[in-house]
Amino acid sequence: MADDNKGLAQGLKRRDPDLLDQLIEQYQYRLFRYLLYLTSSRERAEDFFQETWIRVLERGHQYDGKYKFEAWLFRIARNLVIDWQRQKKVQSLDALIDPEEGAPMEFAALNQPSPLHLVLTAEEKTDVHASLDRIPTVYREVLVLRFQEDLGLEEIAGVLAAPLSTVKSRLYRGLEALRGAMQGGAA
Amino acid sequence: MSKNLHGRAEKLIAQERIEGISQSEHHWLAAHLRECPVCTQVAQQTTAALRALRGLPFPLPAGLAERTRFRVQLRAQEMREREPKRRLLWIMCIMSWALGIATAPYVWRAFEWAGERLGVPRLVWEMGFGLWWTIPALIAAAVVLMENLRLTNENDQSD
Repeated sequence: MADDNKGLAQGLKRRDPDLLDQLIEQYQYRLFRYLLYLTSSRERAEDFFQETWIRVLERGHQYDGKYKFEAWLFRIARNLVIDWQRQKKVQSLDALIDPEEGAPMEFAALNQPSPLHLVLTAEEKTDVHASLDRIPTVYREVLVLRFQEDLGLEEIAGVLAAPLSTVKSRLYRGLEALRGAMQGGAA
Repeated sequence: MSKNLHGRAEKLIAQERIEGISQSEHHWLAAHLRECPVCTQVAQQTTAALRALRGLPFPLPAGLAERTRFRVQLRAQEMREREPKRRLLWIMCIMSWALGIATAPYVWRAFEWAGERLGVPRLVWEMGFGLWWTIPALIAAAVVLMENLRLTNENDQSD
């Protein structure tokens, strides 16, 4: 694995076009899913998806292969979303603000679907989608990274640029919120 | 059964999935779950929630990878075209720096000689020597900065 990452790092440093094509193909599903959970918008997720790969091309030399490539990739994607939120001064219920540190924990109003809900409803609505929709983005994000992407706690901390304790705390609260939301949905 | 035991069990159920638990904690939890239907239900709900999350289907926009590849290739081409210019700039900087170092003693003597001939105070010709060194570097830095700003603006506009 470490050797694979080193090889990847060297290829990115060389801006190897075949390698980039292969990476785009390999990570398209996971990156798009992560961005969709972060932005709650299909169009924005698509824009950020493309922008993320352009950043990978431009800053490939910064990847040193010490961590999983996907952790580095998600971090780039996340930073792009945060920069965009800062530029546009986005103020929404789903902003990437830690409910423990910033705004209070908020859930979408029951009779008013959130953008993520609309995106997912238009495609394939499941109980899990609906449950995830009721969870604040900061919790949804760590749940996706931990249980869908199988990233380790330290890797998640790297993606979020947050202390390990914050990651753990968000995971515990997120898991509780998911269980509660699914129970609520099933009731 | 005390509330503390249920609390500990619930904490361990989550901890097991998030960061793992020790062997002894695992044994304790298993024993507790055998006797406690409430905590067993919590464990089952947690497992079901995570299983559902892991198996969540997600539609991918058609042609997204192709569109992205196209944009990445364009950008790569753009970068390749700019690469020689940047290399030339670096070579010129290095040469200028090397020449500057090599000629510094002569330039210093030239400033000293001119200062004495013109009757300029020592501090003034020393400052002149300093400016002789710093002004070209400042101009080069300004040019590089303006070039970077121009590139950033171009990228923003193309987005």
